Amino acid sequence: MKIDEKVVSYLESSNSPVDKEGYLYKKGDIRPSYHKRWFVLKGNLLFYKDHPDDRDLIGVIVLEGCTVQLCESEEQFAFSLVWSEPGLRPYKFAAEDQASQESWIKALLSANHGYLSLLVMDLEKKYKETLAALFSDPANGAAAAPNVGRELSPHLPTLTRHPAGALAAGPSASFIPTLQTPAVPLKSTVKRSPKLWPKRTANVTPISGPAPPAGDWSAVCSGTREEFSKLHADFGKEVKDLIADWSRSGRAGPVAFQENLIDLSSFE
Amino acid sequence: MRFNEKEMVHLSRQPSEMVAELGMRGPKKGDVVKRRLVKLVVNFLFYFKTDEEEPVGALLLEQCRVEKEDNLTFSVAFLEDAERKYLFECDSEEQCEKWIDSIIKASYEFMRRNLIFYRTEIHRLTGKDPLEQYGISDEARFQVTNGLQHSSRDASSM
Repeated sequence: MKIDEKVVSYLESSNSPVDKEGYLYKKGDIRPSYHKRWFVLKGNLLFYKDHPDDRDLIGVIVLEGCTVQLCESEEQFAFSLVWSEPGLRPYKFAAEDQASQESWIKALLSANHGYLSLLVMDLEKKYKETLAALFSDPANGAAAAPNVGRELSPHLPTLTRHPAGALAAGPSASFIPTLQTPAVPLKSTVKRSPKLWPKRTANVTPISGPAPPAGDWSAVCSGTREEFSKLHADFGKEVKDLIADWSRSGRAGPVAFQENLIDLSSFE
Repeated sequence: MRFNEKEMVHLSRQPSEMVAELGMRGPKKGDVVKRRLVKLVVNFLFYFKTDEEEPVGALLLEQCRVEKEDNLTFSVAFLEDAERKYLFECDSEEQCEKWIDSIIKASYEFMRRNLIFYRTEIHRLTGKDPLEQYGISDEARFQVTNGLQHSSRDASSM
């Protein structure tokens, strides 16, 4: 399967947002030894090279269809990327200390496209509800006007020769997200993670742009806050359970965490 | 450069609403239009020869320029490079516009910018940070300044 390496390399070196970077030990694909590499996480892409200033990438791992688990290893602070498809082997890593391990696991768990997509849908809904509530009180009309002109408005990509209205919300552009359990059967030894696949078939987030007219709420999606909250809670529980199991089994080094990776008390 | 090809092939088999047979022309001079099954999955555009299980290739839809070329054709271009511009011929103008819209919105960075916008606006309008409820307010991923400076590096890298 072809991919354009130059494009991938460019993405790593460009000044697009870095979600996390640092050294990790990665277990070789064939031989069992661990190699220290510099990793850069941007979105759902995990790039790696020898040193931070190297221009040449060794590789990239696309973080879709996987979850992160603590794993059995002679190395301390180990964790692995585990795939939902049988036949795809885990990628094993080891961090340099517990804080790094915890931080990487957290970052990698939420790196997938579906997580961000659900979160954006949830916030879009909240935003529309907020505007609706404010517009219903005429005194608030002016204050509610979005900061379209300021630097924080979303940068819609420039399209030349594209009809102006095509990206706005409207009946033809909306969709109703459907909940679907993942079609891929899971290995019984792999814990079923709620995060493995986003529970919907669409890839499109119904972003309508910063200033939908007050009366046009036709693209509001239902149930997204509940979906994301549940997903988030399930993650947190899953990670917590893994850590608890690991501590109980008494293998490898101490894995006790001082605090939750994800603060469950903030979610009722 | 290595990439996790097996996992990408598996990804290409996931369900998608945007799948169609389109006329696809590669970026090099002399490339001709070929019928390909084009499929959008997360921020990748996979293209298959009809009836083949494994994609011929995948286009990563980040920092690319998506344009309407004419009523039925759109293009996806990378690195401002004429030799990296792919053309897709659709069966209708409506289909063409739907693909353009979907591809733009599939970009991770597009979604991130929207998230930051909604977060900031909700906070401005209500005084509350909508991410607090999930305990993720401090994640580098969602910060307004992310992209203007590097996020904090791992202490272990020092």
